Amino acid sequence: MIESITGGYLNAELAGVILLLIGLYGLIINRDLIKQVISINVLSTGVFLFFTSLGHVSGGNVPLIMNTDMVDPLPATLMLTTLVIDVAETALALALILRMREDEE
Amino acid sequence: MVPLMAVFPLLCAFLVSLSNIFRLSERYIKASFLVGIFSPWSIFILNMSDHPVETVLGGWSRIAGIEVAIGSLNYQLILVELIVFSLVGVYSLSYFEDNKKEGPVRGKQMFTLILLLYGGIMGCFLTRDLLNFLVYSEIASIASIILVACSNEKGAKRASYRYLMLFFLSSFLLIFSIGIIYVKTGSLNFYLISQNLVMSREIKVAITLAFVAFITKAGIFPLHYWLPDAHSKADAPVSALLSGLTVKVPVFGMLLFLVYTDIEFLTLPLMIVAFSSILFSIVMAILQKNVKKILAYSTVSQMGFILLAIATLNAAAAANYAFAHALFKSGLFLGIGVLITRYGTKDIDELSCKNDNLLMLSIIIFTLAIGGVSPLIGAFGKQGILSGLSGFGVYLFYIGSIGTLIYFINLNYSLFNLKSLGKQYRSIEGMITFIVAILTIAFGIYYYPKLKPLDLILIGAAFLAFLILKYLHIFEKKVPRIFSKDVEGLGGEINLYAAIFVFFNISFLIYVLH
Repeated sequence: MIESITGGYLNAELAGVILLLIGLYGLIINRDLIKQVISINVLSTGVFLFFTSLGHVSGGNVPLIMNTDMVDPLPATLMLTTLVIDVAETALALALILRMREDEE
Repeated sequence: MVPLMAVFPLLCAFLVSLSNIFRLSERYIKASFLVGIFSPWSIFILNMSDHPVETVLGGWSRIAGIEVAIGSLNYQLILVELIVFSLVGVYSLSYFEDNKKEGPVRGKQMFTLILLLYGGIMGCFLTRDLLNFLVYSEIASIASIILVACSNEKGAKRASYRYLMLFFLSSFLLIFSIGIIYVKTGSLNFYLISQNLVMSREIKVAITLAFVAFITKAGIFPLHYWLPDAHSKADAPVSALLSGLTVKVPVFGMLLFLVYTDIEFLTLPLMIVAFSSILFSIVMAILQKNVKKILAYSTVSQMGFILLAIATLNAAAAANYAFAHALFKSGLFLGIGVLITRYGTKDIDELSCKNDNLLMLSIIIFTLAIGGVSPLIGAFGKQGILSGLSGFGVYLFYIGSIGTLIYFINLNYSLFNLKSLGKQYRSIEGMITFIVAILTIAFGIYYYPKLKPLDLILIGAAFLAFLILKYLHIFEKKVPRIFSKDVEGLGGEINLYAAIFVFFNISFLIYVLH
């Protein structure tokens, strides 16, 4: 169904780059701090999608020892680590926003 | 055994936070803090005789494992990290003792964060793996962002948020470029990357994006806007660590790219950025009244010098100057920190070090070292950078050196201007600053035992320029404020900075791809 909309031109890498650009755009136009954090999260999702799709092998198997012809598991594993960083930084940004608002009141 | 150098501080950070939770006595907390600070020395000394040391964790091959190494590239950076953290560790024990003003997180909790920063930076300096580098640099940057936010200073949280958003943004661009490098070379290990490297357009784009991310993280003009506030609002020992070591992490990333890949196609734009960073921050430093802001802008300018070494493809000079800068800038922040605590202000006109001879001597030594006066440590690094320059670049370099001396002559002039109170002060913090000053001289004589007569001419020219600027009342001028101080203003700031970041990326990419 998605292919019928995109005409087969959109693959996961390209979708990732588009998300990244949307995130960057959001960061430039939004004045609200929470919206900025959300924009950065959209950007990071784009990067994750891009990176994870790098390991894709069309028709590839699940990466288990007994399988041959499998997809590359490394990008997905690396993105797990980066996701953790993403969560930590988002939490930190939100905490800082709360503190700043408290200080202003 | 080498990776334990990063593991010990991280482990002790965990122990310190556990002892906080179980409310153990302060002695245990301080003991585990000091163990974390000093234990990496043991491994460094054990491996000192037979470096370069290269090991892949778990005994795997390079393809599967993470490689760590101590070699000519990172030896000096690791040494200076050990020295600075040991001295700042002892300094912060008494600093956070004296500053018992209550904030959200103080004292004991700061020790956990300092140890996390230590482990993060050490991991970055040791690794030869791209993603491992990224993860450790994130540990270091998150720790430093929280350290800035913990300061009681007004506006510290705002500075910290700006710091966080810019790091967040550049980190993801870095990950994006790592992805491109992985798909083109099939590896994240720098040695294997260099083996499989073909300088295609994609690789050039990836290296360019990575360099822009590093320039942002290193606080180099025009992507420096997070740095002056973050470094000046933090507590004195934290500022010393941030300005001395945290900004060296992206420098080491650039060095890895310089050694293992080919960055010759970036030479010209990097050189332009380096020179504009040096000259812009000199002007900004001259216009500041806040003493810590002067030092922070000086960091922006000095990072320009390091980038200049990288742009001239001279990895040794960059490492040497990074070593020198880490030493004298952390020393300066520690010394100025003593004065700020003593007088309770950061205004350059109200501070004085006339009542503390040791501190006065230390600050003069540091400022001369930053100016690159021989035989102090700065001269050695600057000589290496100068050897790679030719033509117009040499003149700009000397203008940069004279400019650096001008604002430090202004700093020293203001510090000696007040009348002496008669009583002489002595403190542990002052002594530690003096130790750093002695190291600045000792390493300077060890690496570069020469005296250059040209230095006297540079100092003379700087003094003359200082007198002219003083006569024209340039030092009294102020930089106008663009954004309002509320949350709304901060949002606008981030918008502008993100736009500059994107513009900078695009202009670099257009240059590379045209």
